[in-house]
Amino acid sequence: MSWLFEPGWWANGTVRTALLVGFVVAVVSAIVGVFTVLRGQSFAGHALTDVATAGGAGAFLVGLAPLAGFIGGGVAGAGAMDAIGVQRVKGRDIATGVVLGAAMGLAALFLFLAARDSSATGTTQLILFGSIFTVGPSTLAQVSWLSAGVLVALAAIARPLLLSSLSVELAVARGVRVRWVGLVFMILLAVAVGMSAIVIGAILSTALLIGPPASALRVARRFAVGVVLAVVLGVVATWLGVLFAYDSYYWFPSHRGLPVSFFVVAVVLVEYVIASVVHRAAPSPSVAAGWS
Amino acid sequence: MIHRMIPKKTRWERPRLARGVARRGGLVVTTLTLTALVLSGCNAGSSPSGALAVVGAENQYANVAAQVGGRYVHATAIMSNPNVDPHTFEVSTSVAQAVAQARIVIQNGLGYDQFMNQLEAASPSSSRVVISAQRLLGLSSATRNPHLWYRPSTMLRVADAVERALARAEPSHRAYFARRLTRFEQAVGAVSASVASLRARFAGRVVASTEPVADYLLAAVGVVNATPWRFQADVMNGVDPSPEDVAHLRTLIQGHRVAALLYNAQVTSSVTVALRELAVSSGVPVVAVYETMPAPGYDYQSWMLAELAALARALGTHRSTEAL
Repeated sequence: MSWLFEPGWWANGTVRTALLVGFVVAVVSAIVGVFTVLRGQSFAGHALTDVATAGGAGAFLVGLAPLAGFIGGGVAGAGAMDAIGVQRVKGRDIATGVVLGAAMGLAALFLFLAARDSSATGTTQLILFGSIFTVGPSTLAQVSWLSAGVLVALAAIARPLLLSSLSVELAVARGVRVRWVGLVFMILLAVAVGMSAIVIGAILSTALLIGPPASALRVARRFAVGVVLAVVLGVVATWLGVLFAYDSYYWFPSHRGLPVSFFVVAVVLVEYVIASVVHRAAPSPSVAAGWS
Repeated sequence: MIHRMIPKKTRWERPRLARGVARRGGLVVTTLTLTALVLSGCNAGSSPSGALAVVGAENQYANVAAQVGGRYVHATAIMSNPNVDPHTFEVSTSVAQAVAQARIVIQNGLGYDQFMNQLEAASPSSSRVVISAQRLLGLSSATRNPHLWYRPSTMLRVADAVERALARAEPSHRAYFARRLTRFEQAVGAVSASVASLRARFAGRVVASTEPVADYLLAAVGVVNATPWRFQADVMNGVDPSPEDVAHLRTLIQGHRVAALLYNAQVTSSVTVALRELAVSSGVPVVAVYETMPAPGYDYQSWMLAELAALARALGTHRSTEAL
């Protein structure tokens, strides 16, 4: 196995933290992502990355941890999107585009100010594309607590959420407060986007959120199987991303490694392609088919 | 964001006298009594007081020009905030105007202040003299470490070039500039003497650094920097250093295989902060180094002497200097 795990892999503290943070984030992203894909809200996820980017850059500027900014920005964005009712792409796409453009503009301003007025280096890379290898052990604890909170909340609303995701009319008839369930889910989605941004950056965070669940739902025939498969695919993508980034140090004589985020997103894409091929070879009435 | 090199006489004098280095260069500074320059309202090349406009891309270069030019020069610096990473500096219109109106421009070169070339190209002038430390030293653009001013001889070459440019621009004050150049050379002589004394005491000692900022000074003192160049370059260029290199550096510090950690206080990331904390908790002294002159309170030579004193404190008595 030495060809796969380059020297020092098992003893490296940076790698260990990255793997643990990546694992926790991948699990939460995959589970939240399954609901996101089922509800056809991947657009909302993309929209949240834009506000999360602005939040992360703003947090950096005022000296807060990027994670706080990612999540704060995302939750504020979720509230705003719920207020103006643009959770789905149809209809108000122009207004949404303008607002999201403004959010990215704000992110550009904050990143400019951070570069101009602070001694911090590499901020743009960290905010936009992630720096999992610079994450400290304290972030691991924060991410773990947040993840536990998200999973508990998601479990609490899982049944009404699933019902309202599959049929709003049925959910209303059963007495589900669809609006509230939707808002709670949007907030959980925002937190998941923020945590995913720690691993692969705010701009790429939906790749981890949408990719593995989308692949899983192409091949899985049952909801539970889809969730488990999404988690496995998400963790595999994250861990392989960390491994390849570590190994890339030895690929070039210059010993200059490549970034984790690129490898994570590349593995996510490969998984999706494989899932599509499998799906085409053995067409099945997958969970997603009726709802996407 | 133009920092006035000579804000107020008193602001310069007090901390310098307190440091006891006033006899070396304090006189130079006290003669600079230039008033605030209103860039928009002055003719090209001169300030309202009639002084020659000189722009230094970094404040250490502007400071050398001010020391040589004295009262006939109004020197402004573009990069002077010790809390800002010069590598990520972005140009504003006031900076462009300052360069357009300068008679003499001093820059480092080696891509460190690339924006200066663009600003100079944007406002062509036949009367403007551009002094580049890289060109003066005849360095190819493949030179890895751009922090040239940490080699005292660099500043002697720069001061000499400034003096020649000034004498050409204002021949009537030729003798004045020559006198002041001599005085500056004597002041830098004190830095060279300190380098020689540190070399005698500490040559061959091994240190680590978060960036190649002071590598030329370390080389002059004969101290070895054990940090892989890749790591230093990655931090300098604002990309994440690879976990392999971070682990290597942590081993150097934890195993006390380095006698000090030179910490770039001006360019930080979670990686460099974590290394500084590791050094402090491991009992390895930390030495704060800066990309630009931590003004007010310093001129070029007192800054270099302070860095050398901090290095001597770390190597000699194992004490940290976390800020200048």
